[in-house]
Amino acid sequence: MTFKKTLGFASVLALTAGLAHADSTVRFWYHFDNADNPMDELVAAFEEANPGIKIEAENIPWNSYYDQLYTAIIGGSAPDAAMVKMFAQPRLVEMGALEPIGERIDAWEGKDGLQDNLLELTRAADGQAYYLPVQYVVLYLYYRPDMFEELGLSVPQTCDEFRDVARALTRDTNGDGQINVYGFGFRGAGGGHDHWGSFTLGREGVSLTEGLTSEAGIAGTQFVADLFREDGVFPPSTPNDGFQEIIGTFKAGRTAMTIHHIGSANGMVEALGDNVSATVVPECGGGRWTAFGDESTAILSSAEDKDAAWKWISFLSSEGNNALFNEATGQLPVVKADTESWSLHPQRFVQATVDSLPFAELLPNVPETSDFVNTVWATAMQRVLIGDITAEQMNTQISDLFAN
Amino acid sequence: MTQADAPDTPHRRPLSRIVLPYAMLSPAVLVTLAIVFFPMVQTVWMSLHDYVLFRPNDFNFVGLKNFRAALNDEVFWISLRHTIIWMAATIPAQLLLGLVTALLLNQQFPWRPVARALVIIPWALPSVVIALMWVWIYDSNYGIANELLLRVGLIQRAIPWLANPDTALAAIILTLTWQGFPFFAVMILAGLQSIPGSYYEAASIDGASAWRQFWHITLPGISGVIVTAVLLRTIWVANSFDVIFVMTGGGPGYATHTLPLYAFIKARTNLDFGYGSAIATLFTLMLMVIVLLYLRRTAKAVQ
Repeated sequence: MTFKKTLGFASVLALTAGLAHADSTVRFWYHFDNADNPMDELVAAFEEANPGIKIEAENIPWNSYYDQLYTAIIGGSAPDAAMVKMFAQPRLVEMGALEPIGERIDAWEGKDGLQDNLLELTRAADGQAYYLPVQYVVLYLYYRPDMFEELGLSVPQTCDEFRDVARALTRDTNGDGQINVYGFGFRGAGGGHDHWGSFTLGREGVSLTEGLTSEAGIAGTQFVADLFREDGVFPPSTPNDGFQEIIGTFKAGRTAMTIHHIGSANGMVEALGDNVSATVVPECGGGRWTAFGDESTAILSSAEDKDAAWKWISFLSSEGNNALFNEATGQLPVVKADTESWSLHPQRFVQATVDSLPFAELLPNVPETSDFVNTVWATAMQRVLIGDITAEQMNTQISDLFAN
Repeated sequence: MTQADAPDTPHRRPLSRIVLPYAMLSPAVLVTLAIVFFPMVQTVWMSLHDYVLFRPNDFNFVGLKNFRAALNDEVFWISLRHTIIWMAATIPAQLLLGLVTALLLNQQFPWRPVARALVIIPWALPSVVIALMWVWIYDSNYGIANELLLRVGLIQRAIPWLANPDTALAAIILTLTWQGFPFFAVMILAGLQSIPGSYYEAASIDGASAWRQFWHITLPGISGVIVTAVLLRTIWVANSFDVIFVMTGGGPGYATHTLPLYAFIKARTNLDFGYGSAIATLFTLMLMVIVLLYLRRTAKAVQ
């Protein structure tokens, strides 16, 4: 009897342990524009390989992603793991919301398979590693080869050439007396700092933290203002235009050039076929600057089962899974093997990305960058575009933000 | 009056009778305290602190610093100006449109129930849907507003309604007027139907013109409803920022910033809850006059 009791007790214990193990759940937040994404497929594959872990993946709308993440952290309902960008890292570190994963990365068999330098780029200011890269892009210049050919124009290599071709491309093509094609689709609303950066931050001695109020820095912002106010080469709706608008008008043939990354390439080809190509952003004032668009995953320090969370995020950055992940986002895999077999984008866009890499930069890894990205840049740029403040005032405002 | 005739005074009641009403009311009072007053007090408390959400450990008492900063903030005054314009234009426009609609709907005509149902639609739609719909209407490339105006020859080239600081606020005011006028229409229609038809018959017999009937019978009959509706709507409109947020996000520049929107941007986007709370508190104090007028009115109605 005693033996039976002991056996029964042991069985209950074993069962309880098994149940506890099976109950390990990883809540994961991500943001995909595309509702038809392969997350379910990835989750199913992961859960099959890791029977004890359940993944609850939640797609959060991009326009409020960080607002929701920060407030969830403060409110005590943060996910266990999340997709994250570099600009948010300093704030998340300051909030104590991230789990250091350097040791886990070092012990991980997939580490050597990652693209060179990505782990360095995503390292925090305190020297720790909190992010595991999952995809990346580099911004380049989209243009309409057919329109350039029709007008006998060459693809611009410098800001001066850019201005000339943008002027020539801005025209009335259907003879109704109204301009219906504009030279460039500029993103005046949130997220457009990358456009402005390409015209401003490549200039000699200019960066977000240095030289922005110098003659060269102000000339960059003035260049953008003049393109809109003097030359009229941006559509009139520019101050409010966001991602949807710049991509939509380019696809519709209302603009002849714009700046974005490979994430939109397949949609462009679907709409325009061979009448769309890409090149590096123009050289302005002695240098080029383009944005390195990062996306990583991280474990939140509040995660209940950090081992399970690590298994999940490292799964997403492993060969094969990373390719599947990037098929949905249209960005580029961080795994070398997946890049080699990558055939999801026409070669000209992959080439433009690779050509842009040498001068691609991340935004400064400081807490102020979030404010710059979320509010300060867009409001100041819009005020310059509508003539409310001068280019110098805008640059001073940004300079002051980073100086504080 | 003898002592025996005097009504029961409270001290004569048994203790349980005295306690009972309070005991029965207390759950409701406690819930109200928890969900209304606690957040209010918390907002005021936060406004007295330097409280930036991503620095949760630096919660320092700074007294009135946030309020002083707000009063010296150019954007605060711009937002206040826009809030006043926004309220002064939207509410009379909604009232006028609602009054005309209610008077029309109060007439006998075929399909009247259908017309009444249709008028309610803008009110029934979620604000975000309305905002997105009007963004499309105003679009300078494909929008129907420009298309119509170009075709009838009123404008020579497409106007970027929401991207132009001179037109953006007016464009949003028009959207909110469209969304809110059914509220007035329904309220006033209910008021109109409570006026006895015999008043009009008597006035007609006395030879009163339609205008005099409106001035002396209709308007007094619905004045109570109008005052209540205006007070209610003023508070709602003042605090509503969802339509602006979706349509322009407060831009271009500060062209469509209003105080509630500015408080929201400061708190939610910049995570500066101290400053955001100070703006919200200042705005609440300004609205207090309207709130008090409304409370006085409801208290009178209850009596």
